[in-house]
Amino acid sequence: MGAPIPVLEASNVQSDFLRNINFNVSEGEIITLIGPSGAGKSSLLKLLNRLADPETGQIFFYNKNIKEYKIEQLRKRIGMVFQSSSLFEGTVEDNLKFGPSLFNEWEHEEGKKLLEIVKLPTDFLSKDVRELSGGEQQRVAFARTLANRPEVLLLDEVTSALDVKNVEVIEQFIKGIVSKEVKAVLMVTHDIKQAKRLGDRTFFMYNREIVEQGDTRRLLTDPQSGRLQAFLKE
Amino acid sequence: MAPEISNLSMFFLIFFVLIPVSLSYLYSLGLSGPILWSSFRGIVQLFLIGYILTYLFSLEPLTGITIMLTVMILVAAFHASKKGTGIPYVRPITLCIIVIIEIFVLAMWLGFQMISFQPDQVIPMSGMVIGNSMVAIGLALERMKSEFKEGESKITAALALGAKPEQASKILVRKIVKSSMIPNVDGLKTIGLVQLPGMMTGLILGGVAPIEAIRFQIVISLSIFASVSLSAMFVTIIFYRFFFNENQQMIKIEEN
Ligand SMILES: Nc1ncnc2c1ncn2[C@@H]1O[C@H](COP(=O)(O)OP(=O)(O)OP(=O)(O)O)[C@@H](O)[C@H]1O
Ligand SMILES: [Mg+2]
Repeated sequence: MGAPIPVLEASNVQSDFLRNINFNVSEGEIITLIGPSGAGKSSLLKLLNRLADPETGQIFFYNKNIKEYKIEQLRKRIGMVFQSSSLFEGTVEDNLKFGPSLFNEWEHEEGKKLLEIVKLPTDFLSKDVRELSGGEQQRVAFARTLANRPEVLLLDEVTSALDVKNVEVIEQFIKGIVSKEVKAVLMVTHDIKQAKRLGDRTFFMYNREIVEQGDTRRLLTDPQSGRLQAFLKE
Repeated sequence: MAPEISNLSMFFLIFFVLIPVSLSYLYSLGLSGPILWSSFRGIVQLFLIGYILTYLFSLEPLTGITIMLTVMILVAAFHASKKGTGIPYVRPITLCIIVIIEIFVLAMWLGFQMISFQPDQVIPMSGMVIGNSMVAIGLALERMKSEFKEGESKITAALALGAKPEQASKILVRKIVKSSMIPNVDGLKTIGLVQLPGMMTGLILGGVAPIEAIRFQIVISLSIFASVSLSAMFVTIIFYRFFFNENQQMIKIEEN
C-alpha cells in the first residue's frame, strides 16, 4: 500500500457553531462523528459541501481549497444525505434524476441500477414518493445522492429514524460502496454501536469542538478525555 | 334606468349589520368591535370615493386617470408588500410589478378598443385588475415565506445535489403560483352560475342588456385572470433570489 491519499482536510476552522476544527480524511476511510446533541456535528458536515462557510480557516478537497471549486461541482462531488429524507414531490424517478439532470447526465436505465444498489424493486421508479414507507424513502434519498456519482458521502444521522432491517441494508451498502465508487464517507451517528461497526476512525465532538479523534476501536475502548468517558457511559 | 336608493333605505341597512354584531355578542366571538368598525370604515370610504370619482370624471381624461391610477397602484403596492415584510426591496419591486401589469392590460384594452380612454371606463376596470393583483401578490409573498421555511430541508437537499438557487426554488414555485391563483380559478369555474360577477351585476342594474354585459365581464374576468397569474409568477421569479446568498446558501428571512 502506498501513502494514503488525502481527500479532505480542515485546518483551524472556526464558525459561529464550531471552534478550532482540524482533521484530515484519506481515500478509503469511513469516519464516524459522535457527540451530544448540539455539539456541532451537522454544522461540521455542512461546511464540507459549502452549505455554510467558516469564518476563518481553510478546507481542502484533494489539496485544493474548496472555495476554488465551482460550488455546484463541489456539491455534486461531495454528496450529502440528511436525517429526514426530504424527497421532492413527484415520483421516485423524478427524485433520482434531479441531480444528474442539472448536469444533463440522466438516462432512464440509470434509475433501475440505482434502485438495485439500495435494494428496492425497479418498478418503484414510477411510484409517487408519498406511497413509500420511511425506510424506503430514506433509501431513495440515498439513491438520489448516489445518482450524482459523488466521491465523498456526508451522512447526517441517516439511519436514526429507521428499523433494524433498513439500518442493516444501509450499513451494508455504506461498507460496500466506500473505496469503490465513493472515496470517503463522513457519517454522523447517535449510535455508538453503529460507529463501532462502520467507523475506521471516529471524531468525538463536544461543545463545538473535536475533542478527540482517532482509530474507532481505540477511541471507544480507551477514551482519553473525561468528556468522552462521560459520553460513553451514558 | 338605474334604480335609486333613498337615504332612508340606506339607513335601514344598519339593522342588517346588527345581526352579525349580536351573533358575535351572543357567542362571545369578540368581533362586535371589528364588525362595526369595518362597516363604518367601508361606508365612509365608499362615500368618499363616490365624491372623488365624480370629481375625477369631470377632469381631463388624462389628468383624472393618471391621478386615480397612481393612488390605486401605490395603495395596492403598499398593502401587498406588507405580506412580504423581511424580504429585501419588497415594496419597490411590488410597485414595479403592479405598474407593469397595469400597463400591460391597459395596452390590451385600449389597443383592441375594448374600452375607450375615459375615466369612467379605465378607472373601474383598472381597479379590478389592480385589486386582484394586489391580493395575488400578497398571497404569493406570504406563501413564498412559508414555503421556504417549511421546505427548507427540500431546498437544502436540492442545493446539496448541485442545484443553483433558481433550480432549487423551482421545486416550490409551482406550488406557490398555484396557490396564489386558486381563488381566481375557483371563481372562474362557477362564474355566473353561483354569483353574477360584480361588474356584470352593475351593468345590468344600470340598464345594459345582459348579452352586452357579459362581453365586458369576459374581458374583465380574463384580464384579471391573466394579471393574477402574471403577478404570482413575477413574484416568484423575482423574489426567490433573496432567500439565498451569493454562495448559494439559504438565508433566513426574519419576520418582523
Ligand atoms: N442555522 C442555525 N441557526 C442557529 N443556530 C444554529 C444553526 N445551526 C446550528 N446552530 C447551533 O449550533 C449548534 C450546533 O448545532 P448542530 O446542528 O451542528 O449540532 P449537532 O451536533 O448536529 O446536534 P444534533 O445531534 O442534535 O443534530 C447548536 O447549538 C445549534 O443550536
Ligand atoms: Mg445534527
